[in-house]
Amino acid sequence: MISGRIKFYSLLLSAFGAGYSWLIYNLWYQTGNEHSSFTVCFIKNTTNIPCPSCGSTRSVLSILQRDFISALYFNPLGYLIFAALLIFPVWILFDLFLEKNTFWDFYHKMEIRLKKPYVAIPLLVLLLINWIWNIYKGI
Amino acid sequence: MDASKVDLFIMTNGKFFESHQLPIIRERLLELDDSKWNTVQILQFKDPTTSLIVSLLGGSLGIDRFIIGDTGKGIGKLLTCGGFGIWAIIDWFMIQGATREKNILKFQEALAY
Repeated sequence: MISGRIKFYSLLLSAFGAGYSWLIYNLWYQTGNEHSSFTVCFIKNTTNIPCPSCGSTRSVLSILQRDFISALYFNPLGYLIFAALLIFPVWILFDLFLEKNTFWDFYHKMEIRLKKPYVAIPLLVLLLINWIWNIYKGI
Repeated sequence: MDASKVDLFIMTNGKFFESHQLPIIRERLLELDDSKWNTVQILQFKDPTTSLIVSLLGGSLGIDRFIIGDTGKGIGKLLTCGGFGIWAIIDWFMIQGATREKNILKFQEALAY
């Protein structure tokens, strides 16, 4: 059980590390207000249709520049990702150093809660609306 | 439990588990009481092949992870365009093993009561 927790934490930490490197790369290559058009999204590269989370990099970059309205325009999910990037790595490191399981327990509780139909279906509908909006905007 | 019943279970459900887990499952079932046969027989497992197909088609949206019950990782994949496309490709190879792991967990949970 403990080794599973450590494996899970290191996986998440490397994912957040990749996220931060991606952000730094984008900040580096950003000229003025223009965002780079390079995308790694598999769906967008193959079908030219944006996926539900396309535009979230631009959204997070806009939040960093305190441009909250265009962040909302690019992708509202950017706020969620920004919050996750801020809170979760600190939480995981806190857990690792103090040898606690608070994040591990939280994750499993959230998984059970999110599987309930009255939570899952509204979230799915919201996501679909966001996706349709994304395609409409042509992000 | 009767050896023939155990063999029947292994024959019908063998593909849902890792091959190295099959001897353990067999041992476990042989120790069980016959009254548990109904509980064991009605267990529904996720098919690794199905999750592979879903992973190939909808892996970038995390649908494969949602289907096997890994909601948290599914959300992670969904929010990052399939982990920048890399995780989606890794999961083409990992998802069958992950499905089998979920199946053995389900099997153990069902027998725990």
